[in-house]
Amino acid sequence: MIRFLIKGILGDKNRSVLPIIIITIGVSLTILLSGYLRGVMGDMIDQSARFDTGHVKIMSRSYAEDQVQMPNDLALLGVEAIKEQLASDYPDVQWADRIKFGGLIDVPDGKEGSKGQGPAAGLAFDLFSGVSGEDERLNISHSIVKGKLPSQPREALIGNDFADKLNIQMGDEITYMGTTMNGSMTFENFVVSGTIKFGIAAMDKGAIIIDISDARVLLDMHDAVGELLGFFEGGVYDDDKALAIAAEFNQKYAHDKDEYAPQMFALREQNSLGGYLDYVDYFAGLFVGIFVFAMSVVLWNTGLLGGLRRYQEFGIRLALGESRGHIYRTLIYEAIFIGFTGSVAGTIVGLSGTYYLQVYGIDVGDMMQESTMMVPSIMRAKMTPDLLYIGFVPGLFAMVFGNMLSGIGIYKRSTASLFKELEV
Amino acid sequence: MTTESIISIKDVTKRFPVGGGEFTALHKINLEFETGEFSGLIGPSGSGKTTLLNIMGSLDTPTEGQAIVMGKDISKLTHKQSALLRNMHLGFVFQVYNLLPVYTVFENVEFSLLLQNWSAAERKKMVMESLEWVGLQDIADKKPAKLSGGEGQRVAIARAMVKRPEIVLADEPTANLDAANAHTIIQTMKRLSHELKTTFIFSTHDEKVMGYLDRIISLEDGKVKKEQQVEAKFSLS
Repeated sequence: MIRFLIKGILGDKNRSVLPIIIITIGVSLTILLSGYLRGVMGDMIDQSARFDTGHVKIMSRSYAEDQVQMPNDLALLGVEAIKEQLASDYPDVQWADRIKFGGLIDVPDGKEGSKGQGPAAGLAFDLFSGVSGEDERLNISHSIVKGKLPSQPREALIGNDFADKLNIQMGDEITYMGTTMNGSMTFENFVVSGTIKFGIAAMDKGAIIIDISDARVLLDMHDAVGELLGFFEGGVYDDDKALAIAAEFNQKYAHDKDEYAPQMFALREQNSLGGYLDYVDYFAGLFVGIFVFAMSVVLWNTGLLGGLRRYQEFGIRLALGESRGHIYRTLIYEAIFIGFTGSVAGTIVGLSGTYYLQVYGIDVGDMMQESTMMVPSIMRAKMTPDLLYIGFVPGLFAMVFGNMLSGIGIYKRSTASLFKELEV
Repeated sequence: MTTESIISIKDVTKRFPVGGGEFTALHKINLEFETGEFSGLIGPSGSGKTTLLNIMGSLDTPTEGQAIVMGKDISKLTHKQSALLRNMHLGFVFQVYNLLPVYTVFENVEFSLLLQNWSAAERKKMVMESLEWVGLQDIADKKPAKLSGGEGQRVAIARAMVKRPEIVLADEPTANLDAANAHTIIQTMKRLSHELKTTFIFSTHDEKVMGYLDRIISLEDGKVKKEQQVEAKFSLS
């Protein structure tokens, strides 16, 4: 009987080709859109993780409350001891010291005057040790427009736009003016080793990047950091793991009433990124839901039209002694065969398209020039294991569901009129 | 039912709802059909021929009375039991051949046997034998679209006969055929009835068909007007 059904499907192109094309298109679009959405949102989250939130982040409780103001007077102290403990408790997490600071930059004109001044958003990373992984993580070397990475104390990278605006050349000296973590004024001269452009407007405005050791001297933050960022192995964020680590870490300090006690936050607990994560899941689910509904309606219609076209066939089969239930079941078997074929084809097409968008992406740099969000300039899709079934299963179900609905007519058909119907 | 009766119609009445009232298609019909009979229902349109054929084919049930086919009361069968009765014991030949266009002649005839779970080798033997009965063993691989009208109806007969049913119900089987083909078709059925002891019951207006019948039942307004044993006008050639 299976051979008989398959031959019928293959022999009747209206019964097979149209539904297979519909399913292939639907499944491939679902996979492509889901992969692209996940890729884009994932990139945004990844970007935020690398530059700002880490997969987990430790700050002092007071710092965490006002972190947008970069309150280094509330910085986390005793960092080396904390890191030692973290390395022991979570050996598969890499920890990175970060200090953010604000101030003014003055560019001397060499005649005891000033070429210009501007507010600066300072970032300090571990650039000198060579083992921190910060250069790769933040893609600093590849983002340098002119010059090179700082390689010795009191060298700095500055934002390329900022350098252009103040007409700063490589090797020029600039003066930073700000306050230490204790509230004292601080001044320091830095030699500009290069200019940088991350392609993220939020990062590129007035940026000055120095090594963490220089920042500690400059801001009087010995054995202190503003933020201690943790990154999972492989650089892939795991929401459950991050929340579990944060909960476990914070439990140890639950009874510590010190406002400077460390507090760990998972990525989703920062900058409303939890909303983004939920948004990704929500939209992925929405896509699948819309797909199943739309495909079911289309395939239901296709099934109804097919059912009308096959009215005579079903009549003959009823007259020949095939039970209604058996005809209905064969319709479902056919739907499974067609749904499977269309879903396989759609999955292959969808994954191919997703892979293409993962490799080449879509360049939206021109549209994002004024953005203050941490958004990458090339939006890429992301291949994930769930793309293997996210379109496949609904594709299969939509066809089966469509045929189940359209096949109900078989049960409503009166056998008493078969002779009359089959005379036509 | 006598020991020879294969179909027994007892006081069968069939009424259909029409508008606010009812239309009586059959009124207290009593008939017996015996094994190997070659008989026909004749009468004008609306006389109840097709309704009676439907009931004997377990496609419909009487409103009153009993229709007993192969010892089974049609009214008491479930849908599934009716389908099983049709599948195992009844064959149908329609006015239009109603072959499934995507399948070959062989596959069209084979279909009934698939429902009965015969092995592939047994199915092949039975299908080829059935096609030989109607003289079409050489076109088993053809699609219905390539057949002439006469060939199409002979395939339909092979399909009805392949499972060796005890009863074949034929509704105007020669209506779309020319005279030569009509004679060939009826002769084929008459021969099979004779050789296999199959009961054939026709609904027909066709004089050519009537010429082969052993018994003619005239229906009018849902009642048996006349029932007569006849000497067949045409014999098997």
